[in-house]
Amino acid sequence: MTSLGTMWEIARREIRERGRSKAYLLTSLITLLLVIGIIVVPTFIGREADEHTVGSIGEGNAEIVQAAEQIGNAAVEPGDDPNVVIEIVVFEDRETANAALESGEIDVLLVDGEEMVTEGGTGFFGSSLARLLQRGAATVELEKLVAESGEAATEVIDVMTSDPLELSSLSGEDPSDETGTIIAYVGLMLLYVAILLYGTWILTGVTEEKTNRVVEVLLSSVKPWQLLAGKIMGIGLLGIGQFGLTIVVAAVAIQITGAFDLPELPIEGVINLLVWFVLGFLLYAVIFGAAGSLASRMEDAQTAALPVTALAVIGFFVSITSLDNPDGLLATVGTFVPLTAPFVVPVRAALGSIEVWEYVLAVLITIGTIVGMVFVAGRVYAGGILQFGGKIKLRDAWRSAGQ
Amino acid sequence: MLKVQDLHKNFGDIVALDGCGLTVPRGGMLGFLGPNGAGKTTTMRALFGLVRPDSGTITWDGEPIGHRERLRFGYMPEERGLYPKMKAHDQLAYLGRLHGQSKIQASEAADYWLDRLGLAERSTDPIEALSHGNQQRVQLAAALIHDPDLLVLDEPFAGLDPIAVETMSEALREQAAKGKAVVFSSHQLDLVEDLCEDVVIINEGRVVVEGRVTSLKDAAPIRHLELELEVEGDADELLATLDGVRATSFDGRRHTVLIDADSDLRGFLARAQDAGRLRHFSYTTPSLTDLFREAVQ
Repeated sequence: MTSLGTMWEIARREIRERGRSKAYLLTSLITLLLVIGIIVVPTFIGREADEHTVGSIGEGNAEIVQAAEQIGNAAVEPGDDPNVVIEIVVFEDRETANAALESGEIDVLLVDGEEMVTEGGTGFFGSSLARLLQRGAATVELEKLVAESGEAATEVIDVMTSDPLELSSLSGEDPSDETGTIIAYVGLMLLYVAILLYGTWILTGVTEEKTNRVVEVLLSSVKPWQLLAGKIMGIGLLGIGQFGLTIVVAAVAIQITGAFDLPELPIEGVINLLVWFVLGFLLYAVIFGAAGSLASRMEDAQTAALPVTALAVIGFFVSITSLDNPDGLLATVGTFVPLTAPFVVPVRAALGSIEVWEYVLAVLITIGTIVGMVFVAGRVYAGGILQFGGKIKLRDAWRSAGQ
Repeated sequence: MLKVQDLHKNFGDIVALDGCGLTVPRGGMLGFLGPNGAGKTTTMRALFGLVRPDSGTITWDGEPIGHRERLRFGYMPEERGLYPKMKAHDQLAYLGRLHGQSKIQASEAADYWLDRLGLAERSTDPIEALSHGNQQRVQLAAALIHDPDLLVLDEPFAGLDPIAVETMSEALREQAAKGKAVVFSSHQLDLVEDLCEDVVIINEGRVVVEGRVTSLKDAAPIRHLELELEVEGDADELLATLDGVRATSFDGRRHTVLIDADSDLRGFLARAQDAGRLRHFSYTTPSLTDLFREAVQ
């Protein structure tokens, strides 16, 4: 049998045995149910409006609340349910109002259209109401100023909530199109989960073969690198299958329920993600494989893989930073560091803020690292895989394979 | 023919092999013996490239061994290992495929060996559901699945019940009769004596004894003496008058004495008869166990 045939045979075993295992079927099922749940359930429940209650003492509060409500619902099409509903409760004196604020009966208290009182810190969600009211108050002030010109309040609000500047970009893309951001964000999550999940399969798969000693039988007829490569191939295909199925099911569910306005997926976006899934998975899989060969017991496997996992986490956080600042120094450095590139480059590419030469260079660096790692990790694997008993030192594994 | 010559291997400061060697012709069965830690497993692993010797040569039919030659070898490692959750048949067929068999060949061979070893009904059971003895049988089948020219078995009889030992012995005899070269290690020396014409005994990585079992016995400068005495007085005192005693043991009834081959027994026999009754007397060439003990002490 050819080398490729042997690798394919090993890959097939992984696909057959793992694909039939309860663990695989269960995680696939749970992921599918989760995805379907996230998409389908909200369409049954429908969208709830944010409901707030504002206390009022004195004059001039109702206009502010009305303006705030209008601003909050500026994006709602006429005839649809509102996003924000604000109810006003009028109080005669400050004590009762304070008591109501403390008991949580009202969220915020407005005094004479000039003062806003909260119970404690506003917190994350409270602040959105506070911000709305501030903008509402500003609008009312503005309205007074422009009253002489004869404009009506609603027109002032229209102006304030519209984007009067016409937006265009040099590249000709529509800058308000958020597809790129969505792909970057969702893609990053998918890449991170997939690379770590399937990388861990490689890790435990390799250690497992050592623990149950089947590796000695296998290596009497198969070369170490064939065994590792076949395993990576099999688990990689299994992973692509699982993720592919999830994405297809998600797309179908969205089509049927009409839950989201599905942006038309640009082909380059999908290719970009696929390229980096393959590159990132290969890179991490090879290193995880070497780490797995250094452990003799399952308990040691996670420890051996800790440095690798840490690198992936760093890559993930660098990438999160790049989402906000895709041209920043960190993002640029992360582009050319092999272990962070699989997370950073696809995000920058999806946001359209990477130069072609940067992209190509990053791909080349990553491919070069994979090739280098195949030799380095392959040698560590070959040296570590047949040493039993405790944790094998990286240096010992390296040396023993070189002899 | 498998020829291993002058293997050396150090693990750090530890000398594992120090000039070890062995030869097995096609159709021959070699017992590869030695105390624990003598280097048997290291030698066997070296045959499969699992250990790289520091120096020495390993040839098959006069040619150095590479990956392609190894596909024609079958190996049963000391530490048994199969995928616990994989079905017996699938496991064997998979290993057959890795050795270059076609799908149909591998599947048929798996069926044949499971049937042959009395496991036909367990073929769809996962390995972990089988008893220890049955797992051993599958492990043997794993070494035989691709009809190898050379069979290397590390302690194939360890932990087997007498019936399983019988099955295993029969399978090995059959392989040798078919013209395969068979080499196995074992501590069950009676069994080795029964199965093998030739043995190699190694100690501390070196060959200390090798050759045909019968010639080794004849040539050995020791004899095996068994006595059952009924004497008034002390039997040990009587035994002490023997010349050239190497070792004695007593099982409550019989004395077993390892003695120089040129010792004079006539005087002793006369004294024994004077002292009482000699109920049993046997004087034979040494057993393999005796040779082994002499060689490694």
